[in-house]
Amino acid sequence: MTTAEGDAIEAASDTIESAQGSIAARTGRGPAGRLGVRGWLRWLWRQLTSMRTALILLFLLALASVPGSVLPQEGIDPAAVSQYFVAHPALAPFLNRLSLFSVFAAPWFAAVYLLLFASLAGCVLPRTFRLAGSARQRPPRAPRNLTRLPFTASYATGQQPDEALGKASALLARRRFRLHAGAGWVSAEKGYLREVGNLVFHIALLALLISVGLGGIFGYKANRLLVVGQGFANTPTDLDVFRPGRLVSPSDLQPFSISLQGFTAKYVNSGPEMDQPITYAAPLTYHTSPGAPLRHYVLQVNHPLVVDGVSVYLIGHGYAPEFKVTDGTGRVQFDGPVPFIPVDQSSLTSEGVIKVPDAKPTQLGFAGVFLPTAVDNGGQLQSAFPAALFPRVSLVAYDGNLGMNSGQAQSVYQLDTKGLHQLPVAPRPLAPGQSIKLPGGVGTLTFTGYKQWVSLAITYDPGQLPALVSGITALLGLILSFLVRRRRVFVRALPRADGSTEVVMGGLARSDAAGGFEAEFADLAQHLQELHDGSALPAEQLAQELDQQSAVTAQAHAAGHDPALAGREGSEA
Amino acid sequence: MTRLLRPERCGARAALIGSLLAAAALAIAGCEGGAIGANTPASSGQNFVSGSYQTTVFRVGSRPQAPTVAGITLTGKRLRLASYRGDVVVVNFWGSWCAPCRAEAPTLGALARQLTGSGVRFVGIDIRDEPDAALAFMQNFNVGYPSLNDPNDDIALQFRNTVPPSAIPSTVIIDRSGRIAARIVGGVTYAGLKAMIGRVAAEHS
Repeated sequence: MTTAEGDAIEAASDTIESAQGSIAARTGRGPAGRLGVRGWLRWLWRQLTSMRTALILLFLLALASVPGSVLPQEGIDPAAVSQYFVAHPALAPFLNRLSLFSVFAAPWFAAVYLLLFASLAGCVLPRTFRLAGSARQRPPRAPRNLTRLPFTASYATGQQPDEALGKASALLARRRFRLHAGAGWVSAEKGYLREVGNLVFHIALLALLISVGLGGIFGYKANRLLVVGQGFANTPTDLDVFRPGRLVSPSDLQPFSISLQGFTAKYVNSGPEMDQPITYAAPLTYHTSPGAPLRHYVLQVNHPLVVDGVSVYLIGHGYAPEFKVTDGTGRVQFDGPVPFIPVDQSSLTSEGVIKVPDAKPTQLGFAGVFLPTAVDNGGQLQSAFPAALFPRVSLVAYDGNLGMNSGQAQSVYQLDTKGLHQLPVAPRPLAPGQSIKLPGGVGTLTFTGYKQWVSLAITYDPGQLPALVSGITALLGLILSFLVRRRRVFVRALPRADGSTEVVMGGLARSDAAGGFEAEFADLAQHLQELHDGSALPAEQLAQELDQQSAVTAQAHAAGHDPALAGREGSEA
Repeated sequence: MTRLLRPERCGARAALIGSLLAAAALAIAGCEGGAIGANTPASSGQNFVSGSYQTTVFRVGSRPQAPTVAGITLTGKRLRLASYRGDVVVVNFWGSWCAPCRAEAPTLGALARQLTGSGVRFVGIDIRDEPDAALAFMQNFNVGYPSLNDPNDDIALQFRNTVPPSAIPSTVIIDRSGRIAARIVGGVTYAGLKAMIGRVAAEHS
């Protein structure tokens, strides 16, 4: 009986389990025992690829992204970062040293990500090989005592054992079971698709990780502010912010160019939703490469322009008041739009500066506020609506040294007032067409009108599509492995003393997935019995066999080796 | 053999990890391209990709062909780079709004006055600039050589297959046979640029 028990357990157990068991036994000695360098390395690798480490790393990854949403990020809102620097002069440099203003580019974030990748790859790769092996496996030999399996059937037939087994094989083959036959027995197994699904899931998971990595290596992100009527080309000199992946060089950028033809924004103009935007539309023309035909597109929020796999998103808009500045010699120093940055999104009150570094006799600078719909609110001028219904500009004028000729790069949106001094100009808001004459004959500024601008986010992520495809594939594989059950059917045919043949069938479902095997087995048993023209065994013998079965099951439970349970382990997803 | 130290089997819940990781990746990706209005351009940054000083020199055999650049200068004249073939051409990418360009302008102006006429030509490519401001810059720094107006960066784009200027200012030296001999990203120094031009000018085409 012990041999039979051993057989049944062997049939039910799985090579994966035994492989795992022996590994656990080897490494289970732990660091306490005498381990060489190799032993330690192996132990470290086991630790890294363990489920627990992966979970801790995943948790760390989530934790590490928290500062990314609490603190302003360089890549998303550089303005907020510099505001933070001004507001917290002591703390900000310290946080900056910890890369907390660019969390997703920080070395420690990369460390967590790479460790997680190594952990998952180290876990998934070997498992993939094991699954591949298990998908190719032949069904095991039939256990000696089939009546101890969860599902059994037996009957007597007048056919010879070989003939009976032949018919059983044919039936099982018709039902697309994989067969393995020996003297007096046939084993059949079905549901290998479960392993295929498992395999697909694991490979797709690796592909997903690689895709995400690819995006970071070969992709790039850029920003560009564009005034209506202006154009730009996708090259680093023409981008405001350019964040290339590790292996991106300027010549890899897709050579498209875009011209902004116009911009319209519609706002709710009454009720509680007043000032809320309804639609934005930015009609533009573009060339996919120099010399390519001109194309048209209307850029809208969440309707990016896609050129050569690069997505161009509309992410912001504002006003660019136009100025004409003449210096003390009467020479026109500047004549064009100057993008102002919104400081209040609901009214689009915007701030900006005009630098005139080549003015004579002295450099000129202006800091101003643009109000799209200016209203007098108790002596204080404010913007009441985001559309330019009553545009006004209010300016402060400076002369002196702008600090640009020293070569120190500076923001085009900020005035370094260290070397400047404010000119006594009456604070009068300018309407389009109005000018201010600067005292001392150092120049004149005219507010000639305004244009609108849009800010564009340019993103290229070659890993996006592969990530999507592998994500979907992983899901399909997972569903397949959950839906398909692996199940085994064994048939033994034994000659009986009276010249007839005793046929015993046993069945085992190797996973705890949704039931149904009971019905399938019953159906198989009935069909086989009909083919064999079999008759039920004498009731007395059946009862005896059932007794044996329950006794063995009880034993198995006591030993902690329920064959049915043991069978489940190996095929977990 | 403490139980705590023994790693668990990893595979069973790889599905969970995978889906969580995918969710995390999506969440990170989702941070980009948010709603309009939430994002203003880099109002604190320099708002242009500024150069760190970096020089690339190409050996004679491995020099890329310079693009056939042509356009209208700031003073309204037509200019073809190819018409300078036979001379060494120094191409400088600049803008009047760019502080490092203003710092290197006197150096370039002085070298141009010194070397023009001895087989060296200077050409500026004015990027993202307002023409009045650019002309005022040229007058202010006494820049004698012509500059092509490149408001949309089309000329910079033509250099993409060779040595694209990856920042402003950038300077490219083209040899007598129309091939790119060197590129300097960032401001130039008098001694450094003069020596480099001298080496290229000393070659026989």
